[in-house]
Amino acid sequence: MDTSIQPNRGALIPWRPLLLGLGPALLIGGLAVLPTLQLMWFGATATATTGEAVGGFWLGWWQVWADDYLSARITWSLVQASITTGLAAMLGIPVAWVIARWDFVGRGLLLQTLMLPFVVPTLVAAMGVLAWWGPQGLLGQWLAWDATESPWLLIAGNLFFNLCLVIRAGVAGFASQSAAQFDVARTLGATPWRVFWRLELPHAAPAIWGALSLVFLYCLGGFGLALLLGGQQYATAEVVIYTLVAHELELVLASQLALWMLLFTGLVVGLYAWLQMRAATPRTADIRHRKTLTARQWMPVLGVAWVWLVCISIGLAPLAAIFVKAMIASAATWEQVATAETADALFNTLRFSGAALGVAVVLGVCHALVGRRFWWWRVWGLLPLMISPVMIAFGLLLLVPQWLDAWPLLVAAYALLALPLVIQPVAQALDALPNAWADAARSLGATPWRVWWRVTLPLVRPAVRRGAAFALATMLGEFAVTLFLSRPEWTTLTTLIYQHLGRAGRTQLESAWVLSAGLLALTLFLFWLLEEPDRKDTHA
Amino acid sequence: MKRRSLAGLALAALAALPVTVMAADAPTPLRVITHSSFDMPKELLAKFEADAGVKLTLIKGGDAGEMLNKLILSKEAPIADVVFGIDNAMLPRARKAGVLAPLPASLLALPLSAQVKAVDPQATAATDWLPIDYGFVTLNIDKAWFAANKVALPTQLSQLAEPTYAKLLVVQNPATSSPGLAFLSATVQSQGAGVWAWWKALRANGVKVSSSWSDAYYKDFTRNGGTRPMVVSYLTSPAAEVFYSDKPLTESPTANLNLNGGVYAQVEGIALVEGGPANTATTQAAVAFMRFMRSAEAQTALQTTMWMWPVSNATPLAAVMTHAGTAPTVKAVDADVLARDSREWIRQFNQIVVR
Repeated sequence: MDTSIQPNRGALIPWRPLLLGLGPALLIGGLAVLPTLQLMWFGATATATTGEAVGGFWLGWWQVWADDYLSARITWSLVQASITTGLAAMLGIPVAWVIARWDFVGRGLLLQTLMLPFVVPTLVAAMGVLAWWGPQGLLGQWLAWDATESPWLLIAGNLFFNLCLVIRAGVAGFASQSAAQFDVARTLGATPWRVFWRLELPHAAPAIWGALSLVFLYCLGGFGLALLLGGQQYATAEVVIYTLVAHELELVLASQLALWMLLFTGLVVGLYAWLQMRAATPRTADIRHRKTLTARQWMPVLGVAWVWLVCISIGLAPLAAIFVKAMIASAATWEQVATAETADALFNTLRFSGAALGVAVVLGVCHALVGRRFWWWRVWGLLPLMISPVMIAFGLLLLVPQWLDAWPLLVAAYALLALPLVIQPVAQALDALPNAWADAARSLGATPWRVWWRVTLPLVRPAVRRGAAFALATMLGEFAVTLFLSRPEWTTLTTLIYQHLGRAGRTQLESAWVLSAGLLALTLFLFWLLEEPDRKDTHA
Repeated sequence: MKRRSLAGLALAALAALPVTVMAADAPTPLRVITHSSFDMPKELLAKFEADAGVKLTLIKGGDAGEMLNKLILSKEAPIADVVFGIDNAMLPRARKAGVLAPLPASLLALPLSAQVKAVDPQATAATDWLPIDYGFVTLNIDKAWFAANKVALPTQLSQLAEPTYAKLLVVQNPATSSPGLAFLSATVQSQGAGVWAWWKALRANGVKVSSSWSDAYYKDFTRNGGTRPMVVSYLTSPAAEVFYSDKPLTESPTANLNLNGGVYAQVEGIALVEGGPANTATTQAAVAFMRFMRSAEAQTALQTTMWMWPVSNATPLAAVMTHAGTAPTVKAVDADVLARDSREWIRQFNQIVVR
């Protein structure tokens, strides 16, 4: 048994890793890897059935690079993802540090509202950003230049969606800092600055690495926002893959491009998994407590003011615009929205997200437990974000055409795309658990299951909740799920918003604002339900 | 034994009843794949199901191009019996891939308006595809902007490249948007090889390219807070603006700008999926559904749900449609040319206009 009393990385795992890993492996393998391989295989062998002649699969691997358009798309994808990830680290880490160290009014609410951008349909989010910075926007109208046609707005948009990942992970990382270690360092004469660099940052590093890798992958796979805010010249490789598969059925070129992207993301993600495992430091029981902010401490007050400034200008202002627009919507719009159709969509949103959240949390925790021992297993856990969703969606058509209009497949797809968000924080929390605690419980006679229920789970629960909140947010926002087949009776709030934005007319636009505001309010409520038990917990 | 023979008698008696009564007892399941814009009143669909003894399963397959590709990929095990939303331009591809089955003659004999026939004589004579609605992609303008800025409306496409109209137009990328591809096709058809010089001039004049219709209309169009008072849109959009206005309007805030060579005509249809229906009952249900889509109720309803024009000459236009003006006399783009060259056009467009 791996669950022996010997001190090893598996002492916290209640079951054989093989069995634990089966569930997540089946989901990722069956729903992401197999369909993609099937689609590539189909493209390579059976192009005749599409009635369209396409070049050989095994030839022309360099043609992607020889083609100016394609190579420019790959390069730009990597560049914008790197810039955004770098900026997210620079902005997010100081903000996370301040939030982790100080108690201030609105702290809990701030942490939750920060995740809201994940939920908003990209077009609505873009309109929210433009309500401020656009040429007719509140601030944009005073600008001399048109911000909508520059790459900066695209990067601002990427930050809008992704900064919360870094902040939340950073807060968790900084908050579990040992108080004794800190006191010793200070007593020995280390300056606060030196303590930050030598003690606090390294301690939080695994969590931050995990979040940054997610930010990188989201920016690479970024589909909607890049185009909406930056303009067409900033199309990413993902957009090209989508066009090749969905519109042109050029499977060979799409496969080649996708495999190149997989190579690059694989390198980055592999590096991160190795770094995360190497940087893992066991936590101690004496974690630092937050200090309450008083008006006389001008440095921390300044820090908190900076936090609010960053969060408001990047994340909260566009959301506020959505609420304001919803509030001033006309009576005709409210009449149009207050129908059974909206109620059905609300019910579907709750039904699908709820089912998928259950699947994602259980499988995500299983996956993270196994990942505690093998770094390559962690890379596997990020695959759902590394493979293009359009290839998965079309591959499934070949693999299981008869299941495509059945709702369990839709729920599985939601769960698949949210899985990495659960795995990341849980894996990092497990890394930080000292084996000695589980070993102590085992030597006192606790069964492996009892150790799991009474020691491990309570200690990682805040991380599970945090992962679940992010997973829920992606589900409510339906990243890429629209690529799968759908049924009118499955219409969710997000698809309803897109339906409204598909017709011309003022009340259609206003309906989109109202429904988006409703979706945001609903999400905030669900976050509160999910995370409330941990509000008082110091390592939330 | 006695019981079984009784049951046999009962079955024989049932078999003698008219088919419709049988159908009412056990509705025939029918799978219909549609593009994401398909929208018909629920009550109307329920009424069809009750009348025809059919249980409809509607499947949304993304936009029309995406939907066709999904059908092509799943050809070996079709995911639907009927497909709605393949348009005249996509027909050659659908045929080449072999996803369409021939239709019974009774459907082909249904009356069709002369206007639709004129738009695409070849497609409307098809025997494997039944026209259901038609529409036009054209430029929409923001009336208030042109009035306030005292700019005269352009009267031909070439003017759009002139300084007067610099940075006033937004189009969609043909790679990701069907109205975008429609507008591009119309310009290629009317200008031939010289079209790329014109697009190059448009780029120099600051044409904006957006990813989708919604993106262009709700983000870039001046009517909704953008900077462009001219947008590639639909002929029916000004009517929809009146229909979905926040306060009662007598006049649409937008108008169509039908420039010569800048209007694209599209006919959408419905078809049987090759290998889709498992048995004759399903085929019958499929035919009943197609007939329903050409019924007066459906042809009336689709005008204000999908914002297309009816193809049946017996169906009057909805009152609000007067705001869309009259249908321009435009011929559809040659579908064979489109099937052959559209990929190259999209590539050219992205290299010349987007880069």
